[in-house]
Parts: sequence; C-alpha cells; structure tokens
Amino acid sequence: MRSEQISWNEGSGWRSGHGAVGLANLVFYFGTRQALACGARYDELRLKFPGAHLLGCSTGGQIRNDDVTDDDIAGLALGFDRTALRLATATVAGSASSRACGESMGRALAQTDGDKLKAIFVLSDGLNINGSELVAGIAAVVGNGVALTGGMAGDGALFEETLVGGDGPPRTHQVAAVGFYGDAVRIGHGSAGGWDEFGPRRRISRAEGNVLYELDGKPALDLYKRYLGDEADGLPGTALLFPLRICDPNDPDNELVRTVLAVDHDTRSMTFAGDMPEGWVAQLMRGNLDRLALGAADAARQAAADIGARNGVAILVSCIGRRLLMGQRATEEVEAAGSELGRGMPRLGFYSYGEIAPHHAMGECQLHNQTMTVTVISETDG
Amino acid sequence: MDKLFAKQLGKATRPDGEVDLAVLEQLVVAAYTQAERDRRLIDRSTALMAEELEQLNRGLEQVVEERTAALRDREARLAGQNLLIDTAINNMPQGLIMFDSDARVVIFNQRYLEMSGLRPDQVRPGQPLIELLHLRIAMGTFAGDPDQYISQLLAAVARGETGTVEFELAGDRTIAVTNRPRPDGGWVATHEDISERRRTEKKIAHMAHHDALTDLPNRLLMRERLAATIAEARTGKRAAVFCLDLDNFKTVNDTLGHQFGDELLKCVADRLRACVDPSVTVARVGGDEFALILPNLVHSADAAVLAQHICETVRAPVELAGHPILVDTSIGIVIVPDHGTEPDELLKHADMALYRAKADGRGSYRYFEPSMDARLKARRALERELRQALVEGQFVLHYQPILNLESNAITCCEALVRWQHPARGMIPPAEFIPVAEEIGLIVALGEWVLRKACADAASWPGNIKVAVNLSPIQMGSANLVPTVIGALASAGLPACRLELEITESVMIQNTDATLAALHQLRHLGVKISMDDFGTGYSALSYLRLFAFDKLKIDRCFVNDLSHDASRAIVRAVTDMARSLGMITTAEGVETAEQLDHVRLLGCDEVQGFYISRPQPLAAVHGVIAAYAPLRAKSA
Repeated sequence: MRSEQISWNEGSGWRSGHGAVGLANLVFYFGTRQALACGARYDELRLKFPGAHLLGCSTGGQIRNDDVTDDDIAGLALGFDRTALRLATATVAGSASSRACGESMGRALAQTDGDKLKAIFVLSDGLNINGSELVAGIAAVVGNGVALTGGMAGDGALFEETLVGGDGPPRTHQVAAVGFYGDAVRIGHGSAGGWDEFGPRRRISRAEGNVLYELDGKPALDLYKRYLGDEADGLPGTALLFPLRICDPNDPDNELVRTVLAVDHDTRSMTFAGDMPEGWVAQLMRGNLDRLALGAADAARQAAADIGARNGVAILVSCIGRRLLMGQRATEEVEAAGSELGRGMPRLGFYSYGEIAPHHAMGECQLHNQTMTVTVISETDG
Repeated sequence: MDKLFAKQLGKATRPDGEVDLAVLEQLVVAAYTQAERDRRLIDRSTALMAEELEQLNRGLEQVVEERTAALRDREARLAGQNLLIDTAINNMPQGLIMFDSDARVVIFNQRYLEMSGLRPDQVRPGQPLIELLHLRIAMGTFAGDPDQYISQLLAAVARGETGTVEFELAGDRTIAVTNRPRPDGGWVATHEDISERRRTEKKIAHMAHHDALTDLPNRLLMRERLAATIAEARTGKRAAVFCLDLDNFKTVNDTLGHQFGDELLKCVADRLRACVDPSVTVARVGGDEFALILPNLVHSADAAVLAQHICETVRAPVELAGHPILVDTSIGIVIVPDHGTEPDELLKHADMALYRAKADGRGSYRYFEPSMDARLKARRALERELRQALVEGQFVLHYQPILNLESNAITCCEALVRWQHPARGMIPPAEFIPVAEEIGLIVALGEWVLRKACADAASWPGNIKVAVNLSPIQMGSANLVPTVIGALASAGLPACRLELEITESVMIQNTDATLAALHQLRHLGVKISMDDFGTGYSALSYLRLFAFDKLKIDRCFVNDLSHDASRAIVRAVTDMARSLGMITTAEGVETAEQLDHVRLLGCDEVQGFYISRPQPLAAVHGVIAAYAPLRAKSA
C-alpha cells in the first residue's frame, strides 16, 4: 500500500508531497465547512485523482501528523494493490430514518461477488441523524465480524451545518462509506476517552430517542446551565465541556459517553449524538488535559496492537468536545497518539461530532462521544 | 521552555525568522484566557458538585435514619410476633412440626416432643425427617416403614394434597398426623392424640350393637348377623336360629321387683354364653327374649341337642334375694334356609315355634312347622273380626240371676258377654276375652259392657243390682272411674245398684293407683265383689287392704261339697266374711242338694244353673217374676 499526504490552504492552494502514490484509489480529505462548501475543492481533487474514491467531510479541526489546524484542508491519498474497494452513499432525511439509512448502506457494501467485506469506514452528517441508529443499522446487516469505524462530520463549535461527500461534492444530509474487501487489508482500531466522572449519579427519567428531557425528574438543560454559569451563553457548544457518561443499570459494563448536539430552551431539552435510554444512569464528566492525552495514547495503542504492523496509515477521529476543552493544547493528545503509533506513520484526522468504533469492552460497534478513536489501515505485501 | 510556548513561538515566527509579536501576544493571551476559563469552570463545577453531593448525602442520611428506625420497629414487632407465635404453638394441644422442601425440620413445638417421646436435644432444625422417624421407631411412637411413609408423603405434598395418617401405637394410643403442604414445597405436620376419641367411638359403636344390661349383641346386631347368615346359606351352608323367652320372668319381675328381674336376665345371659362356642351369636332382643344364631349347621338335629342343653342349663335354680328361683325357658327353632330366606320371615317363624313350645308345656323347644303359620293366621283373623264385632254391635249381654237365700228373691244379675258371630254363631267369652286383652280391645269392650249393663238394669224392678266383671287391664286404666260414672249417669242407674267383680289377680298387682280407684268407686256407692275366691293365690292379706262387699266362692268348692274338707273351707269362708261384714255368694250351684248344703254352710246368696242359666235380657224379667211369688209364698 502506498500513501501520500496532501493539503490545501487559502494562500497556496493544493500542495502534494512527492507524487509517490501514483495511481491512488482512495483519498480521504477533511476541512472546514467554509472551505468545502463551494464544491471547488472536490472538483480539483477529482481532476488530481481521477481513478480514486474521494471520501471527505467538514470538521471541527483537522489533524495532520502532530498538528491541529483550523483553516486548511488535510488529505491522504492511498494506493491499494491487493484490496478491492467500494464506496456507497446515502441521503438521510432526518433522525427518524437513521436506522433504515444504516441498513441500506450496509446492504450496498455487503453485496459482493468477489472478496469478502473486511472493514468499513463511514462518514456521516453530524447534526441531522441519530448516529447510534445509523451504526446499529449498518452493523445489523454486515455483522460484528466487519470492523466498522469512522466519525460524524463537524462544524467547528457552531453546530449549524455539516457536510459529507463520497465521490461527489460535500453536501448536508449525506452519509458516505468505503468498504475494504479481501484478506490483504489489515484494520486496527482503538477508542478511549480519558474523561473523569464527577458528582452524583442521576437517572434518565424522561427521554425520547436522542432527546433528553429530564434527569431525576428535573429538566436536563437547567442542570447544564447551572454548571456552566456564564458559559451557558455558548450553548450548545459549551455543553461539550460536560459530557454525560451513561450506563445500563442492569449491565454496568455497557457504558457510553454522550455529547450534546443541540439544545431547546423552550422545552428545556437537549439533543445528544446518540440514544439516551430512559432508566439508564447518567453522570456528568469533566476533562483533565493530562488524562485526555493519556486516553488518546491508549486508543492509539489499541489500534496498533490490533494490527501488529507499523507500515500503515492512521485515521484519527477525536471529539470536538476535547478540542474545545483543550484549546491550543489539543496538539498534546495528537502528539501522544503519534508517539504510540510511531512518528513514521502518516496520520490524518479530524475533530468530529461523534466517533464510530467497536466498543472496547463489548466488541460491538457503537457511536462514541468525547473519545479519540484511531483506525490503522495497512495492506500486506503478499 | 514550556512546550505550549514553544508551539506558540513557532506559529508566530515568520518564514524570514522574525517573530511577529502581535501574533505571539494573541496566542499567549488566548492561552491564558482559556486557562482562566478552565479554572473558573472547574471551581464552579467543584463547588456545585460538593453542594449537590452534600445535599444528596443529607438526603441519604435521612433515608438511612428513617430506614433504621423502621427496621428497629420491624425487629421489635417481629420479636413480639415471634413471642406470640412461640406462645401459640407451644400452647396448642396438637404436636406441630414444620418441614422444608428437602424434608428437613424447620420448627416444632413442645407438644410434638411429648407426643413423639423425644428429648429436646434429639430434634433440631435442619434435621432430616428420616432421622426423626428412626428415633420415633425406637421410642415406639411411629409404626410402619419409614421410607415408604416418606415417599408417599412427598408425593402427596408435590400434588398439593393434605393427608391424614393414623398411627395405632402400643398402650391403646392413636395418633392422627395431618400433613398440609406449604406454598414453598415444604409442609406442616400436626399430631393429634385421638386415643380418647377412638375409644369413645368404639364404645359408642359397641353400645349401638349391644345390650347394656347383659352386654350381649342387641336386636340390631343380631339382625345384621342374621342377614350375613342368610347370605352364607346361599352358598349351601345351613344354620339354625333360636328364639327364647323365660316362662315366668314376668312373675319374678312383678313379685321381686325389676332389680331382681335384671339379675335374673344377667344370670341367664351368662348361662347362654356358657352353652355355646364363640361362633354362635347370643343376642338379647327384648325384655326376656333372646335369640341365638348357629352357623354351619350340619344336621338339623344338632340344633335340638343344643336346645335341650340350654333348657336344662337355664332351669338350674338361681339364687335371688336369698330365694332359689326356678326359671324355665322355651325355645322356637328355625332352620336356614329350610324355614325361610328373609330375616323377618325367619324370626316370625321362630316366634311361632316358640309360641307353640310354650303352649305345649313350658321349658321345652319346638321346630317351626308350616301348620303353625296357619294357626297364627287364624289368630290374626280372629283379632280382626273381634275389632269389627265391636264396631258392628255383634256383642250381646246375657244375665245370670243371683238368688238371695234369706229373701228367696233375685237380688242381682251378673252380666256375661257373648259374641254373636255372623258365621260361627254364639262364641263363649273364654275364646275371645284373652285375645281382646292381648290386643288391648278389652278396655273398649269393657266400657260397652258397663254402659249396656247399666242401661239394661235400669229397666229391672225394685232394687235388683247388676254385676259386671272387670278385667285386670281395665282396673289398670286411668279412665275406669270416669267410665263408670258416665255409664251410671247415662243409664240413670243409682250407683248402689252396680256391683263390680274383680279377681284376685287384680289385687296381686295392688298398686296404689288400683287401690285408689277401688276407694273412689266405693265412695260413689258402687259395690265391689271378689270373684272366684279361693282359687288363685289365696293370700288373705289383701282382704286387709280393701274391705270388699262380697266374696264369691268359686264353683270348685260347691262342686265338691260331698267332701268334708270342702264343706269346712266353705264354712270358714262364710264365717270369716260374716265377721268382716261381707256377704257371700256360692257360685255354680246346679242341684237342690248343693243349694241345701250352701244354705246350711251360711252362704247368703247362690248363683248357678239350678237357679237359672244366663238369659238374654228379654228373659231376665221372667226369671225375676218367677221368684217373686216364691218370695210371697215364703213370706
């Protein structure tokens, strides 16, 4: 497998490396919504890589090796020699059709007349979809044997509109995924948080899907406003400073971290990136720079251990909440992950509105929030 | 250098190596602002968290306090309840033991230990039932196969069935164990000592089938055995049934009292028991009536041998009240199935045979014969006709005049009842009076005689009296005095013209009521005569109890006047009567010679064929008139 990092900025346009990829067949690209919205960047990439699948999305910041940037586009061109690829896209009308959308994506990728589906990397609209349902829909069709990773597109700290493009200009309400086929491709993945729970455990007393109304019988938004103080003006973005850890009281191992996508001041409710099951236990979390960086390192270690080889590339998807908390120090978690993966491994990634990876303890693929997820892709030489 | 500052410096350094101070300042200020913001947020969240946790803690403390108080209350209540339950189960009359679903002891009471004969240290919670059963077998408080008992018990518990098992233990003890399943798969066993109840039940069952005086089977049990005997007879086995009664038991009862009568019955019962082997049922079926059932009879004659033996054994003198008493028994015998296959039929036939044995001479036995049945039927017909005769007016009165020897005039006529049978003609009283007495018709017939005799006498001239015989049964009737008053009143006859004749047997039953009735009649002015004097028990003592107006000397003395002894007796009676203020009538005077004799011996009146046969009413007037001239002549 060959790879080459590419980048774009307002001042100097596209910059590619050495042209080592030659005939690339897959290009990942991540950039700000403002940079991608006009569609020109896609057209330029299509000209540059005519035979490749182009998969990209808007973000809350780009990761390129040890750097975190805000105003450019970061990309990675990959040339597979012994791995078949297939790209699928879908338009999602709204939250309610999330699962159906996931199932149709799963079906599109699972149908194969040749090599067996090995892994899927998916990018999804970050605001108009229930990520949990999307993931559950895909997994239900392809099964847990297929490694499913990816992330939900971001929009800085604005939460206004997110774009996803799969072999086409990035658009809103889009889901796109690439499937990897055959035994040559090797996928490693890891996911970790590093957030600390604090304060009392609360019960989700009223919720509908991913909309949370009440904790312990009191409006959830009131609780957040109280904790945020002055920062409440920055909702919903500032709510990311206090993610919620939720777990099934009957199965405490089944725990997840949920992050806020939107708030409704009239109903005093909050919309999260995934399901908020009634009856589950919820606890506020807060971050600590050192431990978040340790979490990122942990995720990278899992991914590298899975693959057992260091000749691949790494896709890092980290949560916007982490970025908002860490500010300029966000590079520290990126560096920590890089140390585990090895400086020689090209690393590309973005800050997202939701991370997708198999659950560390459960093994089942899930939507995560407030985590760093790392996917390592490589191909054996044969 | 700080890592972050190094980065900031790197970002602020232009390609030419110059540091853009404005950019650097912007980055550094932003980093400070961010750090300040973080600090504020952390402070705020920490304070809020502490506050929330404190609040939560207070809430929890309150919950703990409340729950602790509630727990203490519950513990106290439970302790109280335990004490109550303990008191209740240890004061219940039943033994109680509870088992869990593994057949292990959960709880038991003191009474259980007492009833199972176990010490407190031998029973403990968790102990398997099988171990308890072995202990109880050693103590003699469990009877049976313990493994089988447990498997049957567990099966019943599994089916949810409550069952009771009774254990018959040594010392005539009966323990009833009731095993009641519990919802958790275990069960509660209650042990009840029902020994007394069972003993009482047995006693009651015995009493229902036995005679209290002799402890012999009673009529009920006898009939049950008879039914069983009849059933056996269908398989070819023959049997005999005896009906016995004592020939003079009534006399013993009447003369010595019921207490000695009972003694006699017990003695006879013992003798009967001694005469037979245990396969023979000896039952007391009535006052002095006994019955025997002899199963497996080989020869009919064997029954006769036993009957003869019984007659002889019973006849041996019994010492009662210091006197040796002789009792005879008569026995009627039927053979099953020769003489019947129905209990009622067999007993009826045995009664007939008994009746025949008595009639043929007491102290003997008779087999049933079909002809006895015919005689009995004739007797039943007679009874029926007798009742009908009274209704249809078939009875008539004849009168026999009595002559006063001093005035030589008829002074009295004795009413004698006759039955004018439509088919058989005139029937004499000896044939129907005993039957009327037996069937209780005598009271009604006696009343009819009294009314008719009084009415007839009212038409007679002068002060001629009418004499009416009273049966002992009439004398015992509470209605006698009102009946006499009624008869006199409706006839318009003065009481002094009525003479009532009673026999010695009436005086033997000299109850207070009889004497009171006689005194009442005397008070009315009615004359009372002693009939057939000298024939019965001839005890003169009763002459002291009641002063009779007249003694009627029995015809047997008059018939025998040719002998000196008879003449002496008649003379003694007339002398005694005169001295007691009674007059005497000689009965059965049939010849002139007899008339002369009795006149010489001091009799006041005579009665007999020589004077006149009994006459229909219409002829009586003629006889009275015939003597009137004589009276005139002699005068």
